[in-house]
Amino acid sequence: MSMRITSAKAYETSIGNLQSRQQDLADAQNKLTSGKRVTVASDDPVAAARAERALAAMVRSEADQRALEASRNVTTQTESALGDAGELMQQAREAVINAGNGSYSDSDRATLATSLKGIRDQLLAIANRTDGAGTYLFGGQGTQAPPFVDTPAGVVYQGAGGQTMVPSSESLPMTVDGGQTWLQAPNPVDGQPALSVFSVLDGIIGDLRTPGRGGDAIKATVSTGLSNVDAVAANLLAARTTAGSTLNRTDSLENQISATKLAAQTERSNAEDLDMVQAISDFQNQQSGYDAALKTYATVQHLSLFQYLSA
Amino acid sequence: MGASPLMSIGLRAMAASYASMQTTSHNIANASVAGYSRQEAQLATSAGQYTGAGFFGKGVDVTTVTRAHDEFLTRAAATATSLSAMDAARQDRLSQLESVFPTGEGGLGYTVNQFLNSMSDLASRPGDSATRQTVLANAQNVATMFNSASNQLDSIQAGVSSDLRTSVSQVNGLANSIAQVNQQIAALNGLGQAPNDLLDQRDQLINQLSSLVQVSTVPADDGSLGVFISGGQRLVLGNQAAQLQVTQDADDPSRSAIALNDNGTLRQMDSGTLGGGSIAGLLRFQNDDLVQGRNLIGQLAAAVGSAVNQQQMLGVSLQQPLGGVASKPLFAIGAPQAVPATTNTKDGSGAYVASVALTVTDASALTAANYELRADPGGADGVYQLTRLSTPPLVMSIASGDVVDGMRIDISDPPPSATDRFLLKPVAQAAAGMAALLQDPRDLAAASPLTATATSTNTGTAAIASLTMNSLPPEAAGTAQISFTGDSGDYTWQLVDDDNNVLSSGTGTWQAGQPIPTPPDDINGFSLNLAGVPRDGDTLTVAPTQAAYIATNNGNALALTSLRDAALVGKATLADGSTSGGVTATDAYASALADIGVRVQTANTAAKTSAAMASQAGDAASAVSGVNLDEEAARLIQFQQSYQAAAKVLQIAQSIFETLLQTTSS
Repeated sequence: MSMRITSAKAYETSIGNLQSRQQDLADAQNKLTSGKRVTVASDDPVAAARAERALAAMVRSEADQRALEASRNVTTQTESALGDAGELMQQAREAVINAGNGSYSDSDRATLATSLKGIRDQLLAIANRTDGAGTYLFGGQGTQAPPFVDTPAGVVYQGAGGQTMVPSSESLPMTVDGGQTWLQAPNPVDGQPALSVFSVLDGIIGDLRTPGRGGDAIKATVSTGLSNVDAVAANLLAARTTAGSTLNRTDSLENQISATKLAAQTERSNAEDLDMVQAISDFQNQQSGYDAALKTYATVQHLSLFQYLSA
Repeated sequence: MGASPLMSIGLRAMAASYASMQTTSHNIANASVAGYSRQEAQLATSAGQYTGAGFFGKGVDVTTVTRAHDEFLTRAAATATSLSAMDAARQDRLSQLESVFPTGEGGLGYTVNQFLNSMSDLASRPGDSATRQTVLANAQNVATMFNSASNQLDSIQAGVSSDLRTSVSQVNGLANSIAQVNQQIAALNGLGQAPNDLLDQRDQLINQLSSLVQVSTVPADDGSLGVFISGGQRLVLGNQAAQLQVTQDADDPSRSAIALNDNGTLRQMDSGTLGGGSIAGLLRFQNDDLVQGRNLIGQLAAAVGSAVNQQQMLGVSLQQPLGGVASKPLFAIGAPQAVPATTNTKDGSGAYVASVALTVTDASALTAANYELRADPGGADGVYQLTRLSTPPLVMSIASGDVVDGMRIDISDPPPSATDRFLLKPVAQAAAGMAALLQDPRDLAAASPLTATATSTNTGTAAIASLTMNSLPPEAAGTAQISFTGDSGDYTWQLVDDDNNVLSSGTGTWQAGQPIPTPPDDINGFSLNLAGVPRDGDTLTVAPTQAAYIATNNGNALALTSLRDAALVGKATLADGSTSGGVTATDAYASALADIGVRVQTANTAAKTSAAMASQAGDAASAVSGVNLDEEAARLIQFQQSYQAAAKVLQIAQSIFETLLQTTSS
């Protein structure tokens, strides 16, 4: 025996089917317009979790990039400061060579001493340079403001050695160890204490200002002075090279960060974005389904035996 | 033999056809009435009249009017409706719960990440007040997001309670109606004929009731129907209906429960035995899904908040005098709760005799579960049974003061009685109570209390990679000197005070990738990691960070930044009390999201399946009892023709009678 179709139930079922097809159509449209396959976690819990992790990686890349910019900004300025210092050291070297000129009088040497004093003061200013935002380029792991100060015993470094690092995808330096760079150049004479840029210049200036020194004494000042100036200049140059290679490393890190970010973006998109071609095809399918449901409803509901019974 | 039997047969046949047409019309009239069962006039052949020439039929009788009805299918449809309504109610609420766990930029995971990432900016500019302000704003944002998630959960709970009240008043209304119909049916019971329309009405009421709460029925001799819920609790008996009531859950007054009012005594129903119905769906959602959702959020709030607080308090803020002010926590976190059951023993003044106190000892080991505490079932003194209400539940035996899953449980003296119960909720209120405490940007502790330096004359390549604080330095003014005594990493260390007096000393061996000192050894609370390799004679110094350097020191900001990668949520507690595992905040949110997503997905499938089953069961029942208008139209014609034929019989009978009259008169 076939099942009896209850008229009221048949209407109810048809209406229910129409509603659910309409709902499917609306969902497909919603997905198409948002461009997302996963709008809530239940659409695909695994993909939602994947997208969540990918988003965290994206945001992390942005933070890493900001830290990298901070480091690069400071390191670029440090590199340029050390470049300036290198030029000044070159000028100082020439002044020291000139001081060895046998025809120079005490007053000529005093003039050279004055110009060396000028160079020395400029170098001190460079050593105390900031990045323009309050960070001392040669601030190490923390300094007083400013890190290098003149004292009766010469220029001293008031700060902690080492470097301050920032957390990018690797640690990057925010400062350079000022004491090491300016005050701790290896002495060309083995076993002698490390050399300070400022003590070296102060020593030469003091000698040149001293009147009535003999030719040998002056020669000794010039030769020791030259070798010491070269030693501290080499130390500054080494620091500049380090800054340059840090900048190179920063550039490659930046590439790496943007690659990571791109990978995370792709991951997120793969996890939650809609395949448009598929979605449009699904939408059209659902549209035809709904259309067919409407048409059959209209046709079937017209069929009734009562229609064929004339009064 | 005259014309009268013929006339009588014709008349009865007309009456029978008319009765059939009447029931058919009744069917057509009620075709759209929910719960109506198709009726049929039952006809029977009248017993024959004996004559010498055999039995002569006397026509047809209408014996009764029956309704097309299958008791089994009707009950099956009602049960299927119950299950479908339960699944639909839970699905409906779960999709609300899902909105508390949004994906992407609107989610808690993203907000927590933004906050921890801003610590990286703080590390780049530890002294900058604008950066500090951004960090505080992000911290505020974290607290606000947790609060609003908690508020949403509260309003979902309020919605559940209000729905329960509405459902319960519907149940009570339906139960009363069933009792009344029972009474009417019982009154008509003596007539010997089934009151079809009343029976339909009662079935329909039971069907409506089933969508709210699953019922079982037992018919009585007087025709009334007993209606029972929750595995045998009487809801309707004869013409008496009991009343349901919404009460506070005895175990957790923040939740609603259903109780049966039995002559003034409230008996709470176990939500597990309710079976189906939307009420059961709501209770299941409330007692399982909502609790889980709240605990997942609370666990994340407690773990992230505590980890940040702990690290912040190991650092040094910019408050004056620099280095001389203890750092304040960044977040307030809602406290754990130990809720006594309302049935627990009370003293004369109505206060509970026993109490339980919870203290969080390690927020990273807290679980997203509630616990039930009761006296030892064996009656042992000082021993309690603690059940972690997870899936599956975990039963433990504990004593007062024990630490379980990151919380210490202190039980009062006098102890709880044998029947007392406590519901422990370590994280349920963590998100609700979360607040960002710092207003002054200087309060952020970006600096480390200690600074490590490698001596400039070292010959090895070792540089300081990182210095992390395990605790605040026990010797605030102590300086640690570490001297390598060989190329294989052996070192001696000593901790000296301001005047170079040695406070403590020791030896150790550094290994690549391992910190100095090797855990669990401790030198003034720090842990030092090297990059490169030290040589014999190299020295390292770990000294207090000078006040003047604090503004430029970012040691603690680096440590706060590294919380991004720290497994700070849901560590497992091992047998020896240590913890292991755990996930990052990002992973914790991602898996919370997936957990709720899977629940919604499962509920969607369950709702779809049970709706299809309910619809099928409904179809099966209505195939028996429903009205098909085409069928009724056909029957109408059939009975019309019968009526016409019967009328013809009458006409012929009359004609015979007239023939007889004419014959006799002529």
